[in-house]
Amino acid sequence: MENVLSILFCLSLFYLSVTSRVKAYVTVLQMQGLLLTVLLVLPFVKHFSLYALILPTTLFIIKVVFIPRYINKIIRDLDIKRVIEPTIQQFTFLLLVIFSMTIIFIASNILSKSTDIETIPFASGFSAVVVGILVIIFRKKLILHVAGFLVLENGIFLFGIAVASELPVMIEIGMLLDVFVVVFLMGIALNRISSTLSGFEVTALGRLKD
Amino acid sequence: MNDTIVLLYYAFLIQSIPIIAIAVVQDNRKASAVTHLVLLAGLILGFSSTVSSLVSSNSTLLSFTLWGIPNQVFRFDSLGLYFLGIIQLVAIPTTIYSYSYLNHYISNGKSIRSTLVFYVLLLVSTQVLVLANDAILFLICWEVMSMSAYLGMIFEKEKREVRSGSFYYFIMNHIVAFLLFIFFLLLHHQTNSWHFSDFHLTSDSGAIFIILYFLSLVAFGTKAGFIPFHFWLPRAHPIAPTVFSAFLSGIIIKTGIYGLLRTFQFLHPTPEWLGWLVLVISMISAILGVWYALAQHDIKKLLAYHSVENIGIIGIGIGIGFIGSAYHSIPIQVLGFGGALLHTLNHAIFKSLLFIGSGVIYQNLGTRNIEQMGGLVHRGKYFVMLFLIGSVAISGIPPLNGFISEFIIYNGFFTTAKILNNYYPILMLISVVGLAFVGGLAVACFTKINSIMFLGTERKEVKQFQVSFYEYLSLGILSSLCVIIGFYPQPFIGIVTKVLNHGFVPENASSALLNINWMFISLIFIAVVLGILVVYIWKRFMQEKYGRRTSPAWGCGYERLNSRMQYTASSFADELNEISKTVLVYHKNIKKPKQIFPTQGSFESHAQDLIDSKILLPGFRKLSSLISRIEFLSYTDIRYYIAFILVIITIYSVIAFLWV
Repeated sequence: MENVLSILFCLSLFYLSVTSRVKAYVTVLQMQGLLLTVLLVLPFVKHFSLYALILPTTLFIIKVVFIPRYINKIIRDLDIKRVIEPTIQQFTFLLLVIFSMTIIFIASNILSKSTDIETIPFASGFSAVVVGILVIIFRKKLILHVAGFLVLENGIFLFGIAVASELPVMIEIGMLLDVFVVVFLMGIALNRISSTLSGFEVTALGRLKD
Repeated sequence: MNDTIVLLYYAFLIQSIPIIAIAVVQDNRKASAVTHLVLLAGLILGFSSTVSSLVSSNSTLLSFTLWGIPNQVFRFDSLGLYFLGIIQLVAIPTTIYSYSYLNHYISNGKSIRSTLVFYVLLLVSTQVLVLANDAILFLICWEVMSMSAYLGMIFEKEKREVRSGSFYYFIMNHIVAFLLFIFFLLLHHQTNSWHFSDFHLTSDSGAIFIILYFLSLVAFGTKAGFIPFHFWLPRAHPIAPTVFSAFLSGIIIKTGIYGLLRTFQFLHPTPEWLGWLVLVISMISAILGVWYALAQHDIKKLLAYHSVENIGIIGIGIGIGFIGSAYHSIPIQVLGFGGALLHTLNHAIFKSLLFIGSGVIYQNLGTRNIEQMGGLVHRGKYFVMLFLIGSVAISGIPPLNGFISEFIIYNGFFTTAKILNNYYPILMLISVVGLAFVGGLAVACFTKINSIMFLGTERKEVKQFQVSFYEYLSLGILSSLCVIIGFYPQPFIGIVTKVLNHGFVPENASSALLNINWMFISLIFIAVVLGILVVYIWKRFMQEKYGRRTSPAWGCGYERLNSRMQYTASSFADELNEISKTVLVYHKNIKKPKQIFPTQGSFESHAQDLIDSKILLPGFRKLSSLISRIEFLSYTDIRYYIAFILVIITIYSVIAFLWV
């Protein structure tokens, strides 16, 4: 079951690399949040404990409900264009993603022989980290940087599930808080930037250099 | 014993209260008054309990209970308590002075609240530092101490020299903290503990022993200001507010000495070459420190170089102690470390006295340049007298306290020569000459500043010269301490012996310090002073009888003397500065008047520090130009940086993958 969900996660990454609509990013983020929540709840189907539900609940609230809404609100308020205006062709980007994912999967497969990691969640998590970084590198829009960062963070989450299922809850909650704050700050920053600079692209930020 | 220590805790708590007071009390003047009063109360309580536990303690107290909670974080051994005592002893007059000093700024409408907070933090963290038994607590206190001193230092941050001078201090602190982290991590790795009481290695442990010593020497030595690492002292001291520079020079650099002594407790016995290394470095520090001091025109910079000199003298004592440790000779260790410990106390006292004095002068004249002062003796007779006491003490002239500690170190030289024999007498003789040279130059230097600043006529018009009651009080406390330790050193020697017996040499070992006939020395001093008194009274008597003849000083045949026709600081020191133009980078720029009817002429002299100007600064510049070569990697776009991160992650992943 975990593997199926992880593969779904990977598919969402592919969708992310070919879509050209900003809205789609938000939907993907929402879906990934849902997948992660399910992944976290899965082990507790057999041994139910109320305490263990804290993390999935928080995750759900933050990643599925709050952050997508917030980003949508920013897009609406600031009237950000709906197309993503990529710096390289979508197809090239897809190739890049496929290439890196292949290498990661092969590497994880080899790694799994010597260590006790679960190949597919591990590799998916790693891929998400890389795709997140690639999104940040090859997209100009600041709002997509936020999305890229969130994808990266989801990857780390998945990674945590794959490497050690008993990563302390406090650390995961701490990470969630971290993400929450970062997105919040980025939103504020975008609001401020929009009032001083006209564009929402990182290239415009270069002018702020002292 | 436990009771007095609980009292110490209360003292720390009381000293921390002012932070709340500063936040609550609105009026600047009231906030300052409350802060200083509470601080003083805490310090006095702390000092009395420190002294009583130092006197009553018979062994190191490691674990004790505080309010029912067992505690292992603090350590109340004699060495820590001794330094704690020094800190509190100096902090009391400094705090008294601080009240009057900050009042000047309050009258000028400058906000002093943050400075007060930093001062409180500095005092408390320094006191906790010397009691820390836990390396982590030590490092935390170390950082708080350094940073609060830095933040206090930039009080007048609108001045350019303040910003640049404090920056050097800041950099120095980072380097030191970095080295200390490595030092304690290595110690932890070796001993599997964070507690000072568990740290112990002998020289059999091989390379790690030497690495640890080097880390300690560089880190603590930089803080203390030994010569290749002294660059921050003459920059940071002049620009700091006087309160901070007095504390910095009196106490904070002593924490470096404290660190070195602790290192010795962790790592002993020391190999002999280490003792020689410390001795040579200290000798160079002492000689160059006083030499550079001689060439300075800025009073605070001059005093900063004198700190280098005195740290050198303390270091000489430590070096002798190391040599004694290598030969397992108790008398040598006792005299070396004893001299160092006592000189630490003495230097803390007279250096803060002199710094406070210089602060008073600066506040009245608005300049730190010695060349613009003069004739102050006619303005404040008692102030000059107190400053003179400090000067005599720092020069090591009997009968004041500087002499006592230097005497112990001289004694250490002779004892080493006597016990170790072989070629040692010659080496020790050279050291004696070196230390004597330092003493001579120190006398010259303080003759210079006292005569130029206080005697003669005023070079620049002095509008007013006021010394407030608080300033007199703090100067008075410090100078009376100088006199007391000079005339009656026995109790202080007793405490130093106690410190040595609890952690340096085996207990109950006969102390070479106590073998010196101190009573005899006191008697001689008293006799000399009585003699001077008798002569003075006789002179007064004769004066009454025959009257006093006064006439102007002979003006070398010049008519119409003005205030510019007197000895200046540069001309006074010129002969000595001329000895070596390479060691002291000494430039003179003379424009002689040429025509028969002279129109214009000028004279300038500049002295720079050899190590500073020829080695350190070019080195830093080289480093900075090297680093700036990777500037081409700097972009305005964040995406490039993310791409770099991705590349690095990939490389690491590949390496990790191949590793597995």
